[in-house]
Amino acid sequence: MHAVIPYVIAGLLFALGVYGVLRRRNAILVLMAVELMLNAVNLILVAADATIKSALSGVQPEAWAYPVPEPRAGAIFALFVIVLAAAEVGVGLAIILQYYRLRRAVVLDDVALHEHDHERVTG
Amino acid sequence: MTVADALMLALGAIAVGSAVFVVTSSHLVRAGFYLVVSLGAIAGLYLVLGAELVAWVQILVYVGAVVVLLLFAVMLTRAPIGPSPDLDRPALPAALIGGGVGLGLTVLLVDAFRWTEYELPPPGTGRRVGEQIFGAWVLPFEVLSILLLAALVGAIVLSRPDIGARPDPNAPADTDTPPPGPVDESDEVRARLERIAARQAAAQDRLRAQRAAETAAAESTGAAPVKTREDVLKEQAHDVVFRAREAGPALGATQPEMSDQARPRVIEGTSRENQTRALPRGEDKALPRGEDKALPAPSKRELPKAPDRDGEEA
Repeated sequence: MHAVIPYVIAGLLFALGVYGVLRRRNAILVLMAVELMLNAVNLILVAADATIKSALSGVQPEAWAYPVPEPRAGAIFALFVIVLAAAEVGVGLAIILQYYRLRRAVVLDDVALHEHDHERVTG
Repeated sequence: MTVADALMLALGAIAVGSAVFVVTSSHLVRAGFYLVVSLGAIAGLYLVLGAELVAWVQILVYVGAVVVLLLFAVMLTRAPIGPSPDLDRPALPAALIGGGVGLGLTVLLVDAFRWTEYELPPPGTGRRVGEQIFGAWVLPFEVLSILLLAALVGAIVLSRPDIGARPDPNAPADTDTPPPGPVDESDEVRARLERIAARQAAAQDRLRAQRAAETAAAESTGAAPVKTREDVLKEQAHDVVFRAREAGPALGATQPEMSDQARPRVIEGTSRENQTRALPRGEDKALPRGEDKALPAPSKRELPKAPDRDGEEA
């Protein structure tokens, strides 16, 4: 296995996510691009998890650095990142829907950052 | 070039290609479905890389929950079905920054790993991941569960406008007394409703008595001189079909007789007093308002005598 393949794929996915976040005006599409970036990070974590065993073949294992006998925690990190992404999408979509309920729009350019209308009561 | 390399190249091409469509498609829903394809291909990459549990969690959580949530948001924000023209900003700065990030990352990773051959690890099992999560990583796991709970509560609080909503300072402060429901009416309204019901019952009784007297008079005078067999059959069929309606006041039959009476029938809310009162009010605005208050009093006084005249309503 050539490790450069998943790494380069992850790099391209992250670049596409950055492009999408900067390009899109719709908030939901921005969230989709953020999902792409998070998946790129996950892919890097899993690829490092798969290659670190053979990369560390000559290194003396130390007890404090590896609390478990098999030092492969990339999958765990990937799971944590997936849970974080789920939480982020839930709260982000709640914010987007509340904003849509207030303004009837999901366009990010139209968000008035300096307008104090947090006292507004929605029905 | 091994089988794993070929699989990763193919899945990576699918993932990157559909990701390109995610960030460039002008259809919102199509972007969501391309995101499904991209995430599925990344799950295949996880499988090739030996992280089996992560792959299935990716399918479950991302494809099964996150994308469905995104598509629900697309529907709830009333996105147009066709292509949306104003979906994108100008492309140049985004392409510049995105291309720079992609180029930098690619050059960095290629330079770091070259074309080095790595030994593919044995496919991981759920047992190993579970031992690690609940062994070495149990504290981050618990913290993450609390964070997930906080996100859940936060999403609910954000979605419901009645939680944490501060009262409008401009609104009048009459929110302490809710308007009376239909169950607990005031005494006045209840008395009026009872009067209306009594009037309607009296009118129905009167109509029934009239009809009975009419039929009795017709029978006593022999008002049906010539009855053929067809007429008898028709009357029998009429009795079968319309017996239920005959028991009550028939509107079409009793209407001309009612018009002969000295006291015309008054339908609810359309009394003559209201009509005659509404006409000069529309023409002459200078009509004194005291007349409106003076009118209901006599009609309310004569209510026991004439129970079906409802001049005081409305």
